[in-house]
Amino acid sequence: MSASTDDASVFPPRGRGALPQLQLGALFDLARAGIGAVARRVGRAACGLILPAFVLAVWWSAAARRWVPEQLLPAPASVWQSLRELWAAGDLQSHLGFSASRVAWSLAIGGSVGLLLGFGMGLSRTLRAYLYPSFNVAAQFPVLGWVPLLIIFAGIDEGLKISAISIAVVVPVTINTLKGIANIPPHLLEVSRVYRFSLAQVLWRVVLPAAAPSLFTGLRQAVMQAWLALVFVELLASSEGIGYLIVWGRQLSQPDLVVAGMVVIGAVGVLLDLALRWLESRVQRWRRAAF
Amino acid sequence: MQRRTLAMAFSALALLGLTSVPASAEDKPTVIRISFPGAGTGGRPLSGGSFPSNAHLFKEIDDEFKADGIRIEWKFFPGAGPALNESYANGLTDVAFGHGDLPLIVGRATGLKHRIVLSSSRFGSSYFVVPAGSTAKSIADLKGKRLATFKGTAGQLTLYRWLDKYGFSDKDFRVISLDNDSTKAALATNDIDGTNITPFDLQARGIARSILEIRDDPKITRPGTVWVGEEFEAKYPQIVQRIVTRLVKVAYWSTQEANREKELQAWATSGSQAYIDYKKDWESVSDLRTRINPLLDDYYVASLKNSIEETKKYKLIRKDVSIDGWIEPKYLNQALKELKLEDYWPQYDAEGKLKVDGRKLAARN
Amino acid sequence: MNETPTRAPLRPAAATRRIDPRAFALPLALLALWWLLTAGGWVDTRLIVPPGNVLRVAARTLGDPVFWQGVLFSVARDAGGFAAGALGGVALGSALGASRLAERLIGPSFHTLRQISLFAWLPLLSSWLGYGELSKLVFIALSTLYPVALGTFEGVRGVTLEHLDVARVYRFSRSQLLFRLILPAAAPQIATGLTLGLVYAWVATIGSEFLLANWGNGLGNIIIKGRAAFNVELIIVGMLAIGAIGTSLNRIAARVEARALRWQRPPT
Repeated sequence: MSASTDDASVFPPRGRGALPQLQLGALFDLARAGIGAVARRVGRAACGLILPAFVLAVWWSAAARRWVPEQLLPAPASVWQSLRELWAAGDLQSHLGFSASRVAWSLAIGGSVGLLLGFGMGLSRTLRAYLYPSFNVAAQFPVLGWVPLLIIFAGIDEGLKISAISIAVVVPVTINTLKGIANIPPHLLEVSRVYRFSLAQVLWRVVLPAAAPSLFTGLRQAVMQAWLALVFVELLASSEGIGYLIVWGRQLSQPDLVVAGMVVIGAVGVLLDLALRWLESRVQRWRRAAF
Repeated sequence: MQRRTLAMAFSALALLGLTSVPASAEDKPTVIRISFPGAGTGGRPLSGGSFPSNAHLFKEIDDEFKADGIRIEWKFFPGAGPALNESYANGLTDVAFGHGDLPLIVGRATGLKHRIVLSSSRFGSSYFVVPAGSTAKSIADLKGKRLATFKGTAGQLTLYRWLDKYGFSDKDFRVISLDNDSTKAALATNDIDGTNITPFDLQARGIARSILEIRDDPKITRPGTVWVGEEFEAKYPQIVQRIVTRLVKVAYWSTQEANREKELQAWATSGSQAYIDYKKDWESVSDLRTRINPLLDDYYVASLKNSIEETKKYKLIRKDVSIDGWIEPKYLNQALKELKLEDYWPQYDAEGKLKVDGRKLAARN
Repeated sequence: MNETPTRAPLRPAAATRRIDPRAFALPLALLALWWLLTAGGWVDTRLIVPPGNVLRVAARTLGDPVFWQGVLFSVARDAGGFAAGALGGVALGSALGASRLAERLIGPSFHTLRQISLFAWLPLLSSWLGYGELSKLVFIALSTLYPVALGTFEGVRGVTLEHLDVARVYRFSRSQLLFRLILPAAAPQIATGLTLGLVYAWVATIGSEFLLANWGNGLGNIIIKGRAAFNVELIIVGMLAIGAIGTSLNRIAARVEARALRWQRPPT
């Protein structure tokens, strides 16, 4: 006996009576799926926390049981306390401020120079012929190699730090700008020629958007290199800054300051990276919307 | 019952037997690791300026233990006092020749355990130096400018004492941490505006000039220290005694006027101070015993206590440090008795004033 | 999330063997300016030394066996640290790429620790391991580890299911799977990571020699001695040596990379 579709007992009508049952079932499935998704997210995050928790435990017992002498390995608790004290005294903020301002200045200076160089060499074949080979050779040179010479010329004060970090910034910015321009699909440029764009229009409406991803990569790398160079020069000779904090901790046998400094550097690095990624995704979205 | 008492008697006897093992001839170490909190220019393994340096330069300690087949491992630290602390914390050092007050105290505050057996040098002149082109005439002129000192070393406290003497604090300046070589380079390129350093060689080369000088002021300088690790001392007291006795012998030799030239020249080989620096700096010292003095007298103890107060005042240590059980004068006293030098050296009181004059020396030839 | 940063390509894409003479214009102009400034006495010649002096000191240094000994030590350190770091990096990257579990466990920590600027590790390392060879080698290995691991990670991730199917058909064992399929498939990215690691390793070598100066041997030490003696010429010569070695290392790496990847057919 087959049921026909208008047999009410088999196929309950989509009337008021049947809705609660269906709805409940659907809701239940939805809830289950939702919880599953959240659980998976939490689970993934929790998974990532297992290793740090383990390391923290090992660190804590190593310090408590003196596996490494206490003058060399600070207890996690004392690192935390030092961080809190530094924050409360305002020292942390002021040191961070010094370091951050150095990086900011260098990004501005090095970034501008890098963009100029990159755009110049990318758009003009003559400029590229003159500048690129020298730039290439200089770029192979590790930034640190410049430091002894910079110390002689720029001293050990802000001049040294900003010039050293700027050099560290120029290289990735230039290279990535060049790359970005080289990768512009030629038909875009043809279109702009058809429309007879002025130079400014070409730059603003074609080159920049097309090169944006590479520019962002360059920016990200520049920030990383800047931070790397900053720590190096601050460790070398400084009277304020996060690197100075680490040197101070080292010289006065306060390894908790050393580790606190490392933690702060890592934290700032993470934050910067996240901020840049967010910025990049924002710009990408705008870009896609424009096209 | 009987068995148990027998067993107990047996174990008691056995225990007695174990604990009353005759103290065999004290084991000797195969190597003694002696560290200097510093190094010559460019990090070279030489030092100068004190009688422990002489002990190394003239191979006195090596000689002392050659017959026993004990090797001496000499360690030099461009990282100065703090690096020596790290080395000791890692168990890589047994004896320190000439540790400055600040790293010494910081080490103890962080839990390092050692025993002070001698003082290595005292008094001495301190200079305030500015780059050659600077127009500054006093510390007040340098307010807000950059001063250099090697943070964590005795030099840091010396600088603070200078600033204190003239009514300033370290917050009135920008104090940069630089080692000796970097300081000289920084003076030459005008990258710092003032520091404490011996100026004569730099003056001769037109790099810097001294604007202020404080001579042999017990309030500005502090004695250096020779210490041995606590474990090392507990294990090898006789070795420690031999080291101390030999050092006192070297100290005696170093105070002989006839040897002044020789030691000045030897000290200059380290390069951290030029010969002319040593010569001029020691010119004002008519009796070498004022500066070359191993005694752990009232002045030494009072200085140490003052330094501890200072480190607390400048918040350079976070735990208090007590002197109890730290200074161990028995080796020094034994050495002085053996060498019949009990009255040789002048003793100073807590204020740094002469308390007991040293033995009258034979007329200078 | 392609994080393997780029490095400067070694020559312009167009394989023009003919060297454009315009390339020399800038360096020659700078050299001339330098010579002019010092010859005219317009700058402090203690600081900005005349190029002639530099050449003289360079000639003398190149003939000095101590210099070559220093170079040898630095390069040996670089090589040792690089080897250790590269091996570790490949291992870590493969583990992260091949195993989801490993990536979940170790990945976040790995990416976070990467943000701690390398030199920030140095004070801690040196207080544990001293100022000698060990801490420098460990530091160099650490510097190499990250880029290599990252490159390997991306390469292994790129291994597609089809590859694995082939492996299953041929019944590869675990080690065969790793060495004959996964690593070769990931080879381009691993090579990029290795090349970058080489650059970082040299930076780390020089940096650690500056910051962990001891009475040892190495190019960094030579420069430090130059500074201690106010010998600016020696500093410049040392710098040029650092640059030259860095460049040659990059060239060698690029050539090895090209040779090793030659068997890879060009993408169709």
